[in-house]
Parts: sequence; structure tokens; C-alpha cells
Amino acid sequence: MRFQAISSALALLVAIAFTGIAQAQSSGPLRIEITEGVIEPLPFALPVFEAETTDAGTYAGQISQVISADLTGTGLFREIAPSAFISKVSSFSAPVQFADWKAINAQALITGAVSVQGSQLNVKFRLYDVFSGAEMGSGLQFSGTTEGWRRMAHKVADAVYSRITGEGGYFDSRVVYVSETGAKNARQKRLAIMDYDGAGVQYLTDSSSIVLAPRFSPDGQQVLYTSYETGFPRIYVLNVGTVQRRVLESQEGTMSFAPRFAPNGQTIIYSLSQGGNTDIYSMNVNGGSVTRLTSAPSIETAPSFSPDGTQIVFESDRSGSQQLYVMPARGGEARRISFGPGRYGTPVWSPRGDLVAFTKQNAGRFHIGVMRLDGSEERLLTASFLDEGPTWAPNGRVIMFTRETQGEQGRSTLYSVDITGRNLRPVRTPEGGSDPSWSPLQP
Amino acid sequence: MHTGHYISGAAHLALLGWMAFGDVFAAEPLPFQATDVSVISSAQFDAMMAAQEAPESATEVVQPAPPEAEVETPQPPVPDTETELVQPDPAITPDAETPPDVSQITPLPPPADVSDQAPVLDQPPADIAVLVPEIADTPTPQAAERVAPEAVAPPDPEATPDPVEQEAVAPDAAGETVQEPAEATAPEAAATEIVTEAEKPARAPETSVRPPARRPEAPVQTAEPATQAPVRDTAVDSAVEEALAAAQAAPSVPQGPPLTGGEKEALRVAVSSCWNVGSLSTDALATTVVVQVSMTQDGKPVNNSIRLASSSGGSEAAARQAFEAARRAIIRCGSRGFELPVEKYGQWQEIEMTFNPERMRIK
Repeated sequence: MRFQAISSALALLVAIAFTGIAQAQSSGPLRIEITEGVIEPLPFALPVFEAETTDAGTYAGQISQVISADLTGTGLFREIAPSAFISKVSSFSAPVQFADWKAINAQALITGAVSVQGSQLNVKFRLYDVFSGAEMGSGLQFSGTTEGWRRMAHKVADAVYSRITGEGGYFDSRVVYVSETGAKNARQKRLAIMDYDGAGVQYLTDSSSIVLAPRFSPDGQQVLYTSYETGFPRIYVLNVGTVQRRVLESQEGTMSFAPRFAPNGQTIIYSLSQGGNTDIYSMNVNGGSVTRLTSAPSIETAPSFSPDGTQIVFESDRSGSQQLYVMPARGGEARRISFGPGRYGTPVWSPRGDLVAFTKQNAGRFHIGVMRLDGSEERLLTASFLDEGPTWAPNGRVIMFTRETQGEQGRSTLYSVDITGRNLRPVRTPEGGSDPSWSPLQP
Repeated sequence: MHTGHYISGAAHLALLGWMAFGDVFAAEPLPFQATDVSVISSAQFDAMMAAQEAPESATEVVQPAPPEAEVETPQPPVPDTETELVQPDPAITPDAETPPDVSQITPLPPPADVSDQAPVLDQPPADIAVLVPEIADTPTPQAAERVAPEAVAPPDPEATPDPVEQEAVAPDAAGETVQEPAEATAPEAAATEIVTEAEKPARAPETSVRPPARRPEAPVQTAEPATQAPVRDTAVDSAVEEALAAAQAAPSVPQGPPLTGGEKEALRVAVSSCWNVGSLSTDALATTVVVQVSMTQDGKPVNNSIRLASSSGGSEAAARQAFEAARRAIIRCGSRGFELPVEKYGQWQEIEMTFNPERMRIK
């Protein structure tokens, strides 16, 4: 009896096993999981844009160069040398020989044409996914003046970057910063504005007084900054287009500094030092009542709004060391978010709202880092003798900051780095530079 | 008889008596230290407590360090020696006032189909006379020396390993454009032994392809009419016919056993080597996509068949970007065909690949 039961059970198991094998053999597609890939710049081909008119040849070459520099400067793309091209793009409307571009491993192909009519410049382009043999998005055309050819090149690069990565671009943007000359003990500073890549530098103030910490308004048309023109720090508002400026109201015997716009462009937050105590205040940029947001015997400064304008991140030494805190935009209880070793300062909220960039000083070195709003996933992106003052690119993917070298002849230079910590590179400026502030993407 | 018991009882009694009265379990007193205690007055005690509290009250108040802006003592305005900087040039922002117009370009006409295959040449007409060399009926091979009279040219340098094959580019002095030299690239290939042509083994198939299913024979038509048809189950007949029709309609695909772990791993590694996530957004790097692809029998993906089956963890735009990267990986590394066993084609005719970038994410 027992033998029969065991035999029946074994037979049942064998039947189930065979059934399983049979089902496995006919159970649809082969399934595999890919969890490891490679991180390499995407190779792209950019034949020089076609000059559709006789006087467009110079612009076509220059625009092609700027687009290439924009894309390769991100560290995410790699340009294939034109000498490796097999097929030539004779016409903007000619069909693309994808096999020729596949053969040189071009994964993206950018073709374009430039035409000039008087002072009017037209730039059009198409982007192809070579291995899919299809166009990525539709062709676009930009029209403007010949003086704005760099902006149109940046626009094309932004569109290409956005279509391939899925993120917004940041090439058609500007940076306001403090241009520095002279030795450390006699340094002259003045405000300057330039394209994001260091081109087209123009000066907004003279160097008769010390200027600090310029900050763009959300529309990129105004700049807040601190000046020692009267001997004490005062906050000024400067119109970038007209270079007209005015000082914000302040009480006698106080010092105002570290201003920053709210996302609405009307409210500003800043630090005010009075009687040896420093707290954070807010006021309307056009004047009016002042609201005190913090009230503590410690030092609260360097405030920065969240993109939705509901919260403020700032630095404070209320715990005994300099740390980062988050509080409601109207003031209230603050929540500490930094807990690592060392001191944290100059926090800046990411345009995406998910990260905070900061300066960290630990073990005799300075770092630029990012962390989440709960203090988790802290990543230090740089390390040097002195790194400070981060500012976010409009797409929240790149950070620009100041790096100063050691010694009396130490020089301040602007650097940019990807939030992955890769692609650290200097930003070329005619003189030294510090305190950068990145504008939003231009319309 | 009870002598042993008596001896044992006496011994136990003696032992218990010795344990009870012999100070066996008496512990020795532990060593201790005596401390001299002096008696102080309440006034002296208050003085001592006051002296201890003084430093604590001093540490309660932390003098905050002055802010950076305060540390930097305001310097008097420095006269500008550069005369041209006294009046700063106003920033020229024509671009901000007149942003470039953006318009969409009409889509291109579909490109002409370009085939990689060589064109088929027309056959010459039969009436054209062609001079044909005379050929002997039985060609006799000429004896060849085993050692070549001249030294052969050195072999080409090895190509740089790369999934995409590329010919070497050498500078051509006669060319109009100066070409930059480039190294030849070819996919990595390895052999366990060097086999000359003479030693090459016969190309005998190691495994035989499963024979196709036997087709049902056509019914033999007989001249004699059936006088009495046998009674048959029509439902069974129809089912058998449907099954036979389905068997005839299905192509003969070698099914074979399931792929081994090594064969799957080889495919996974091959696709991974072309899966480039370097240009993906952070959102796309948080998106897992499941991609389905149909394969040809020579191991190449059918490009038009690559489709997104599902995605998780990201927005629709992020899924699209992640799918594009996955599709590029399949097409790029599959252009020469994946190393897959032909005899198991039925097992990998359809492949479902899950691209999970969790390990590639920014940490």
C-alpha cells in the first residue's frame, strides 16, 4: 500500500516536471536582463552647415563650430572628425546615406543650412538617429540678425541636446560674475556678464568699489548684488539691458548682503546684520515692509528659495557648527539637513527641486557637493584648496563655481562640473572670475 | 552482605560532616582599600561647587563668529586706474530683445532605399559570341614549391578591438583633403588554436537539424466508388485537419533545447557592450524598459521589429529616451549578428530584453 502511494507520488512529480519542461520550451520569447552598460560620449557627425547664399559661408562655419563646442563641452558627446566622413552632405534636402554614417560609428547626424538676406540670418537643421535610420524630431529653423549668430548656434545645440538626452538645454544662457584683477591684497572687482561658455564678456560696473555675490532674477533681466560703495555692504538692483541700478532701502547701522530673488521675481531674501546678530529677512524688490524670517542669536545667512517658492534653504551655526537648514518661505521652524563632518555653506536649490548644491569645508579642503533635501545621497564633486559659490545651470545638470589657487598670487577662476562629478573644466574668462550666477534659458 | 552499604554510608557521613564543619565553603574576605575621609564645612562645600560651575556657565553662551561679509572689512573705494573702465559700456543685449524666430521645417521626403547588396547585373544575351578559352577535359595540377621564392609581405597590423568594424585610414598625399590617420577597428575574435588551411577540419555538422515533420500523404483517389463509407467522428477529423494545417503552415524552425546559461550570458554581454547610457538624462537612468525584438536565423535583429513592450520608473519621455538607447544597443552590436546557436533558433527567434539601469545610476 505504502509502495503504491510512493510510486503514485513519484509518477505525479515526473509528470509535473515534464509538463514544466514542455511549457518552458514553448513559453514565448527568450528573456534576458541587461544591468551593466557603458558610459561613453555619444559619437556624432556634424558636417559644416551648407551655405545657401554666397555671404553665408563664414556664418555656416562659425555656427557649426559653436554647435560642436557646445555638445562636446558637456562631456556627453564626441564629435567624429570630418576627415573620417565617407559621404558628403551636398544639400540640406538631400537624402541621407545612413550606411556611410554607420560605417564610421556616428550615432547621431546633424545637418544644417545657413542663409543671409541683408542683416537677416536664417539657420535650419535636422537631427538623425543613424542606427535607426530615422529623423529625431522635425527640422527647425531659426531667424534673427547676423549679430545674434552665436545665440542661434546655441539654440540649435540646445535642441539637439534636448532631443538626445531628454533634458532641457543650457547653452543659450548667460552668466553674471565678479571679474577680478590684481593680487589678493589689492584685488579689484567689477561685475561682468558673458555667455555661458565665456564668450562675449561685458562689464556692468567699474572697479571703484568692491562688489560681491551677483544673482540673476528669474527672467534674467535684473541682477541683485552687494556693493561696498558707501563703505558698508548694501544691496543694489541692476537692469542688465540698461545698466541702470538702484540701492535697496536699508536701516542705518545695518549691513545687508547675500540677496537672492524669489521665483516670483518680486520678493527678495537677504541677510541683515544688526547689533552683531545676523538673520534672514525678506522684502519686495520695489520697496515696502521688511519681514524677519529667522530670529536666533546665531548667524543665519546665504538663503536660497526652492523652485516652487515654498521653502528656503540657508546656512546657520545654531548647532555650534555651520550647517544647512530648510524652513518655510514665511519663516518658522527650521529642519537641519546636513549631518556630515565639516562645515557646510552657500546652499543653492536645484532648478529641478530635487538637490541642493553646497560648499563644504572638511579636513583642510573645500568641496562642491550636492545632496537631497533630506540630507541623503551626499556627493562631493570637487576637492581643492578653495572651491565655493555653486550656481546651477538652467537644466539642473551642471554646476559652475569659483576655484581659487593657493598663495599671494592665487587666482580665482570659474569652473563647471557635471552633477555626476565628471567633466570638470575651467570656464575661460579674460580675467579672474568669482561668484558666478547662471541665468535662466533665454527666450 | 550489607558491608558495602555500611562503608558507603559511613564515608558519606564523614564527607558531609567535613563539608559542614570543616570550613570548606568559607570564603576568604576580599581585599579592600580604606580611604581617608575628611570632614569639611558647608562654606567650604559651597565654595567648591561655585568653582566647578563657573566654566559651565561660560560655555553656555557661544559667541557666533562674524559672517564672512563682516570679516571682510570694508575697504575704501579704490580709484580706478583704467580710464576706460570708469564709464562701463552698457551691456548690449539685442538678442534678448529680439529672440530668434523659430519655425518648423517641412519634413523631408522619405529617403531613397539604399541597399547594401550588390546590384544584379543583366545576363548577356545568348546570341553574343564569347571567346571561351580552350579547356582541357581533365586539368592537371601543376606542382608548386612548398617554399615561396620571395618573402611574403608582412601581415596587416592588428585592428583595435571595437564592436563596429572600420577600415584603417592612411594619409593620402595625392588627395585633395588631408586625411587624419585612423586605426582599423574590428570586433574581438579569439580562437583556441591556430589552424592552417591544410589542417582545417572538415565542415561536418556537429549537430543535425531536426527533420521537418512528415507531411500527410495525399489521399489516393480510387476509381472505385465507395459503396459504403465507414462511420467516422467528424469532430475528431476536423481537429486533426486543423492540426495538420497548422503544422504545414508553420515554417520549419529548429527548436532545439533551451539556451544554456553561458549562451544567454554571451548574448547579455554582447548587448551590454553597446548599451551606452552616458548621454541619458537622470530621469531616463531611473527608467527600466522591456524591449522585444525579432531575430533572423543568422543572429541579426530585425530593426523594424524592435518595440517597447513596457517601462517602469519614469515618465513617458524618459521611457522613450531609455528605449532609444536600448534600440541603438541592439542594432549597433547586432549588425554583425549575435553569437547564437542556429540549431536552437526557435528558442531565440523572439527575444525580450529588460534594460535595467539601476547599477548605472548616479549614486
